[in-house]
Amino acid sequence: MTTFKYILRDMFRLVVNHWVLGLLTLITAGVMMWILGVTTLFSLNLENLLTHLESELVVQAYLAKDSKIDVNDVAKKIQSIEYVYAMKVFSPADSLAKLQEKMGSQSRALDMLGENPIPYNFEIHVHRAEDVEHLVDELNAMPEVEDVVYAGLVVKRISALSRISSRVALIMFILSVVITALVVYNTIHISLYSRREEIGIMYLVGATRAYIATPFVLEGTLLSLLGALIAAGGILGAYFPGITLIQNNLPFLRHSLITDQGIILRFCALLAGFGATLGWVCSYLIVVRFINSITKPE
Amino acid sequence: MNITFSEVTKTFEPDITALFDINLNIEQGEFVYVVGQTGSGKSTLLRLITREILPSAGVVAVGGTDLRKMKRADVPYYRRDVGLVAQDFKLIQSLTVYENIAFVMEAMSVPKKIVDERTRDVINQVGLWRRRFMRPSQLSGGEQQRVAIARALANSPSLFIADEPTGNLDFHTAAEVMKILFSINAAGVTVVMSTHNQNIVNSSRRRVIELENGHLVRDEKGGTYLG
Repeated sequence: MTTFKYILRDMFRLVVNHWVLGLLTLITAGVMMWILGVTTLFSLNLENLLTHLESELVVQAYLAKDSKIDVNDVAKKIQSIEYVYAMKVFSPADSLAKLQEKMGSQSRALDMLGENPIPYNFEIHVHRAEDVEHLVDELNAMPEVEDVVYAGLVVKRISALSRISSRVALIMFILSVVITALVVYNTIHISLYSRREEIGIMYLVGATRAYIATPFVLEGTLLSLLGALIAAGGILGAYFPGITLIQNNLPFLRHSLITDQGIILRFCALLAGFGATLGWVCSYLIVVRFINSITKPE
Repeated sequence: MNITFSEVTKTFEPDITALFDINLNIEQGEFVYVVGQTGSGKSTLLRLITREILPSAGVVAVGGTDLRKMKRADVPYYRRDVGLVAQDFKLIQSLTVYENIAFVMEAMSVPKKIVDERTRDVINQVGLWRRRFMRPSQLSGGEQQRVAIARALANSPSLFIADEPTGNLDFHTAAEVMKILFSINAAGVTVVMSTHNQNIVNSSRRRVIELENGHLVRDEKGGTYLG
């Protein structure tokens, strides 16, 4: 406990002695962590939105007008396809009623057809947009299915958007992590370099390498943690007003965005933890390397 | 703590040999002057004892331990038993006199109360209590050297290494520093001091080890130095 007190005091001495550099690191780490957090939240919301849209995607499979086809058998076959999330069966009569309802006053045109032309059909929902193409292939391969109708272009665009958003989020994540890591690494390196003579003296008068190194590692960890906490505060302060603004202007997105305060709080705590860990790893690597090189006997 | 050099040679990269085949033995409680011209190998010999450098050949043993075989993790514990005073003082400039001295005990996890007591004692011993809150840059050379001595004394070492401790000091201040070193030795601590100050060596008549171009040319009890 005594040692820990001395180490903590030395860490604060380091922070105070290099306060300008520390402040710059804090700001940079904070900004990068904020970008990291915002990008991740944007990506998560987009993912949520895409999942919502995907759940609305429907593939309509029409059976051939053949009295020998057992609708229940076909339903079981379709249900067993791995891409199927949910399925509804519509009889010709149900389908016609639905169509009439949709057409409203123009539904009288359907009377001119005489016999109901709509066969038994299935409304199928998939897990993910990218599953639609596979499902359609499987449905087309079934002899009982005469026609498959789906929003092909929409599916392709949603899948592409999903892929792009994941990649952009990944690139932003890597960039933010690398920049934060480099800034922390550099700050600690400068801190160590400016005190290289002192470090040599400390080792010479009997301080262990761990005793010398720990304040520097703690300094890097503290600066990163504070940067991440500032970023988390900024995210908390901006996220909910931003979400409210979006919901007011784009009401159709109301149910597709993350609005649970618990999730956002946990996310911010995770960001702070990630910042501290990143700072600790960077500082540890540079400190160990530097102190080993300085204390190595000739 | 006795010191033994057995056929010690030290060569620095690329090809500068600072010490050639040195053999010597210093017993516990001795006061030894290491003399010689600049570049004769005095500092190299002392740095071998503090394990700042390792011999290229031969064995340097302190207290029966071969320093080359000492694990790196054990070096700080060894150095806590070796008081070191250098010509350039080697004080931490960002710390006050008090903090410089307290640091060596803090690094050993000594409780604060004991650190405070011991720091006060050694600062008083070197007569710098009124300067305790000053930084090294605010002190004269003699005062800085006394801080270095106080720091070396803080852990009550068994061995005291002084590398030209009077090199930057005037005659009067040098005499004060020597008085402190003799009192340390009188308490049974082995003192090894390098110098090229004839007056100091000749006025006290202790054991003299003379180096010349890296060779040990003289090892004389109660010796003198003519420069």
